[in-house]
Amino acid sequence: MKVFRFTFGVLVLLCSLYACEDARRVSLTESSSVNMMTDLIAGEEVVGETAENAGEVLGGETAIDVSQLQDLVPGPPVWSRLTQSQYRNMVSDILGLDSSDLDLEPDTNPYLFTSIGSGSSSVSAFGVELYAEAAFILAERYFASDMNVQLTTGCLPNTVDDGCADQLIRTLGLRLYRRPLSESEFGRWQALAQLSATSRRQEDQLKGLENVLAAMLQSPFVLYRLEQGMASLDDEIHHYTDLELASRLAFTLQDSAPDQELLNLALEGRLKENNVLEAQIDRLLNTERAKASINAFFAQYLDLSRLKRVERDPSVYEGFTPSLLNAMETEVRLLVNDLVYRRDTDIRLLFSEKKAYLNQTLADHYGISLEQGSPIIFESLALPEDTVRVGFLGTAAFLTMNAHPTETSPTLRGKYIRERLLCQEVPPPPDDIDLNLEPETGEASTLRERLERHREDPACAGCHSFIDPPGFLFERFDSVGRYRESVNGITLDASGDLDGVPMSNLGDLAQHLAQDSRLSTCMVRQVYRFALGRLEEEGEESEILRLHEKFRAQGFRFKALIKALLMSDGFRQVGPSTELNNDNSFNSDE
Amino acid sequence: MKKTHKRSSANLNQTSHYNAQPSVATRLRERYTLEQNSKGSLGQGTNLRGLSRRQVLKGLLGGVGVQLALPQLELFSAPAFAQSASQAQPFFGLFYWANGTPWHAAHGGQQAQAGHPDLWTPNDVGQNYSFSPLINPLARHQVSVITGLEPHTEIPGTPAGQGDGHMRGFMVALTGDRPQPETFDHSSHTLTALRATLDQVVARHPDFYQENPLYRSLEVGVSEARFHGYGHWNAISYNGPNSQNLPILDPGVLYDRLFNVSVDTSELDRRSAVLDAVLTEAQQLNSYLGQNDRIRLEAHLEHLYALQSRLSASQQACEAPLVGNYSGDLINKTRVMGDLIATAIRCGLTRCFSLQLTSPASTHIFSNLSVPDGMHKTCHDGHWERVRSITQYQMEAFASFLDAFAEPDASGMSLLDQGLIYGTSEYGEGWKHSVKELPVLMAGTAGGRLRSQVHVRSAGGNLCTAQLSALRALGLPIESFGWNGANTSDTFGELFA
Repeated sequence: MKVFRFTFGVLVLLCSLYACEDARRVSLTESSSVNMMTDLIAGEEVVGETAENAGEVLGGETAIDVSQLQDLVPGPPVWSRLTQSQYRNMVSDILGLDSSDLDLEPDTNPYLFTSIGSGSSSVSAFGVELYAEAAFILAERYFASDMNVQLTTGCLPNTVDDGCADQLIRTLGLRLYRRPLSESEFGRWQALAQLSATSRRQEDQLKGLENVLAAMLQSPFVLYRLEQGMASLDDEIHHYTDLELASRLAFTLQDSAPDQELLNLALEGRLKENNVLEAQIDRLLNTERAKASINAFFAQYLDLSRLKRVERDPSVYEGFTPSLLNAMETEVRLLVNDLVYRRDTDIRLLFSEKKAYLNQTLADHYGISLEQGSPIIFESLALPEDTVRVGFLGTAAFLTMNAHPTETSPTLRGKYIRERLLCQEVPPPPDDIDLNLEPETGEASTLRERLERHREDPACAGCHSFIDPPGFLFERFDSVGRYRESVNGITLDASGDLDGVPMSNLGDLAQHLAQDSRLSTCMVRQVYRFALGRLEEEGEESEILRLHEKFRAQGFRFKALIKALLMSDGFRQVGPSTELNNDNSFNSDE
Repeated sequence: MKKTHKRSSANLNQTSHYNAQPSVATRLRERYTLEQNSKGSLGQGTNLRGLSRRQVLKGLLGGVGVQLALPQLELFSAPAFAQSASQAQPFFGLFYWANGTPWHAAHGGQQAQAGHPDLWTPNDVGQNYSFSPLINPLARHQVSVITGLEPHTEIPGTPAGQGDGHMRGFMVALTGDRPQPETFDHSSHTLTALRATLDQVVARHPDFYQENPLYRSLEVGVSEARFHGYGHWNAISYNGPNSQNLPILDPGVLYDRLFNVSVDTSELDRRSAVLDAVLTEAQQLNSYLGQNDRIRLEAHLEHLYALQSRLSASQQACEAPLVGNYSGDLINKTRVMGDLIATAIRCGLTRCFSLQLTSPASTHIFSNLSVPDGMHKTCHDGHWERVRSITQYQMEAFASFLDAFAEPDASGMSLLDQGLIYGTSEYGEGWKHSVKELPVLMAGTAGGRLRSQVHVRSAGGNLCTAQLSALRALGLPIESFGWNGANTSDTFGELFA
């Protein structure tokens, strides 16, 4: 916070020197100036303020009778390979090492989520080479300082077979494998240490242990999560074991391997107790890692990675720079963080609130004056009642990534609402259809007029009358999300509708969407996929509805949803593998 | 609705199932029998790791034409079986470019109405045909061209969208089959191949490599623009469903992978011992996994064995390529990649590769050609003239890539005399996504099996005939190729010597 106060002083000074211009569209309200500096700075967000409201803020959705829902049929296990970030976090948490300079194979994200890619994609030959390279380098780094070993075990081995070496192998094993090593595994690592310790000198003995770590870091037991569940004696339903549950919680919520506390509770067999589990979820939810995980969820659910691939000609779009794109992405992250962490309130406000997080770059882009603009600090701004920008759909992030370099795209924007926000299916264009809109003939016609032709053609009308009308509501935002009233002297008509409900602007759509149960159900569905690393099975539909009901009953607070999900049977139970019957469940006690 | 599913009571059995099923791993191990004694032939203790070119090259990404001449290093790895071009087995390369060719009448009715000329199809057929304007950049390499082809693969109606030009096209052009239906999702553009792409059909054919290669195949890409970030769109090389070989996009990374290897024998021994232990452990996993996951484990094991066999392969001198003037321009970068790949082939590091110039449905902005929009949109907007210039540019890049393979050695032979590079795209044209007139080019004579500069015209012909012709040209005894309505045992006889 020191940095922050210092900056504040500088900003005040700057602002008095360059008397802040009046906002063209929006002026700072009192509350926003008060709020302003309590918010974020790159990497230094302020959290933990009191929850503003535990109840529902927006209203609009009605309860369902969950007793009418079918029982859960748990889905199959997923054999996930750690994602890049999970691997790096694990290495950081357990070995205290930074691996950001080491390449790893990029994740895949079928159905939007890297967790689904990590449970289905095979690693390539080059990917295995990268693992090997990283493992040898990290092991070397770890043993380069006795301090690392001391931190792990509290002692320093003299030989590969002394008590301290045993302890090191067992401790690294427990942490990296997320379970105790079996005796045969332990024996194998001891043997490797002895084989590769070329002399009795301590440094050569440590070299033997370095090889053990290099091997562990390449073990598929470490790189993949083997979570299979086990039937209890009085129940045929398979539950994940305590240790598996520890892993599932950690990888979902911390994007990393479980810490010692989780492992200890699991080893004591207590993690499955509801009160213990709940307390652990609460503990984990309030960490920086959880914040990053939740952010990763929103980035994937909202498909924000597309923003990174946006290209615009700076001579057409003045001020279009990589830092502007970064600012766009940051704004969304801060809006999410504000609702999930700072206020712990109704997440649907993400779509309807009149609020912005701006640094100077983004404020300039929006044509909003800041009292104390900074390229680094993002200010929280309450936008006026009549603002044209409402919620996430009014952010430059959404508007830019759903537009073309030379013109906007009501089709892309409408399609996004259907598919991403409402989880609806938009049929693809029929094969061999004329996808082309006639180029402008003679006098200038607006994109809207050209698109209207889609709706006249019966082959196109089916889908375009479904996706374009909500998309037209954004027509006054150009391809980088700047507001405009007209193009080429033609005033832009930004009216539209959603499912036949007429709307005159984005504000109408935002209010409507935020209270649409399809939107909140879609969010639950996507979190379910994110956490389970696969698509939901038919027998899990009821579980998604049950979770949605809990979500609703708790005021659509996102943390409450996460907690309900992690406590749910859908997350804690497992069905049989969908393919071959495998009779062997893993068990480390030989 | 109580009760969910039943599992074998073996789950409750506390006995270990370690060492239960050695089968897969053992088979693999036998395939990769190690030759430990060959290590003795190595020079002592020279570690070249300090000589990484990577940072140097990385620094040039996006830079403007910085001249970079790397010193030739004398000692680089190459296996004992590296041979001169004339004796060698043929190599195979796949060259992929995005968004087909500019549309013309043969692509369909609407395309005909647009009234643009066909600048792709040569006017005459047979050997020594006259190069068409768009193939002309490749004239110096006497490429062969097959025109008129289209996929004969049937596409199911559900899930919807499998007929989509890009997704269907890129799978069909590379695998001879449609995308895997059960994992297809048009909304998130999730798709995967049903089977191996052409490069992997070759690389994994039991007759292709007589000895285990150091690298079964190399995957390289040039443009980084992507229509989607979804991993499956980033690769044009697949081993099978959900098993993609992502391309290396950074010449420095490729350089390091191929040429910046340690020759310190004690280090190699150490790594070998570590990998031994990893492999022993990895084999234990098999019995805990379902069928799909076993395939994933097998892939992982296979790559570990390959890694280990490289550690113990005998090595001999190989001259690393001179990499110069890498500016980030596509043609320039393509040439740099070509030099690295050609050197790898000359040194016997591999005999199979794929190069993805641009990715399917590429959004690459060819600002160097004054095209303001991404390529995909440029096609859809019907900017024929721009698509023409982009296609020409992509063919120039292909030609520049082939330059790296065209230099004759002491015996007067070039790599192009030794191998076959098969060039293709995802469909005929990108305006209406027509899969008619899907372009296929072939460069190289595959050790004398192919004639050069032949134009085969096969209007409405089965694309798989061209794919099978390429496979046969490599001497692979593959009877037929193509699935779901596209199977054929025909080849284009005119191509063969």
